[in-house]
Amino acid sequence: MALRDVKPTRSELISLKRRIALSERGYKLLKMKRDGLILEFFKILGQAKNTRSELDTRYEKAVERMAVANTIEGAIGVKSAAFSVNEVPNIELTSKNIMGVVVPEIKASKVKKGIMDRGYGVLGTTSIIDDTASSFEDLVDAIIKSAEIETTMKKLLEEIESTKRRVNALEYKVIPELTEARDFIKMRLDEMEREELFRLKKIKARTSV
Amino acid sequence: MEIAVIGNSEFILGFRLAGIRQTYTFESDDALVSTINGILSDPNVGILVMNSKDMERVPRRLQNILEDSVKPTVIALGGEEGGLSIRERIKRSVGVDLWK
Repeated sequence: MALRDVKPTRSELISLKRRIALSERGYKLLKMKRDGLILEFFKILGQAKNTRSELDTRYEKAVERMAVANTIEGAIGVKSAAFSVNEVPNIELTSKNIMGVVVPEIKASKVKKGIMDRGYGVLGTTSIIDDTASSFEDLVDAIIKSAEIETTMKKLLEEIESTKRRVNALEYKVIPELTEARDFIKMRLDEMEREELFRLKKIKARTSV
Repeated sequence: MEIAVIGNSEFILGFRLAGIRQTYTFESDDALVSTINGILSDPNVGILVMNSKDMERVPRRLQNILEDSVKPTVIALGGEEGGLSIRERIKRSVGVDLWK
């Protein structure tokens, strides 16, 4: 709001004062929200780091096992075992609320399976297939966990960014401009009052002569 | 909801062993892009798993979409990628590099 758009009237002053009070209240609230979100973010950050590193190690392990299985069983053997697996891991998305941010909560149903539940024959395959399958099941578990945490992180970060922007806009743009306008109106009103007084005195001096 | 996996045949084979049905391979980069688009529009996929090497082959624009996507959540395996994108975001929104 440029200063020349401000009309130096009393009602304008009152409404400006109201707006300043409102902005300051909002600013305080948003600042608290931002701090709360960052606190929440720090909680998640530790978990995210852990799950990430666990995910990486599990992935490496799974790839290694896969290579071994491929070497021992041959690609066809592994493939045939893979195609006979019929237990599908199902995931369920529910949402929870962290300070107004809706984050998903992912629940998985039965990723880990026993040897008998995998679908391929126990006799026809070697134990290396079982090892590979179980390490990949571990991996999928880790993926599900880290998917939840990373999504939460993403959402929190987004919210932090927008809240921060709002806080800064209020602190450095909205509130200073409003107070500047208020001071301008105050000054103008005082000035007008002085002018009026002076005018009255002049008139009085002229009439009394 | 299900988990979807995109990658070369070796990559997806392991996930098939773990029981994941929605596995896709691709021959060319174009095919990769169209597969990804198909998965993004599938409401039944909750998590998309990719290899970070394949992630690099995706055009930059789509990569950004994937990184921002919440449903499905995209997880890149292997390499630094998964950590890196989040790291960048943390730097941007908090202002400090906290990922270390």
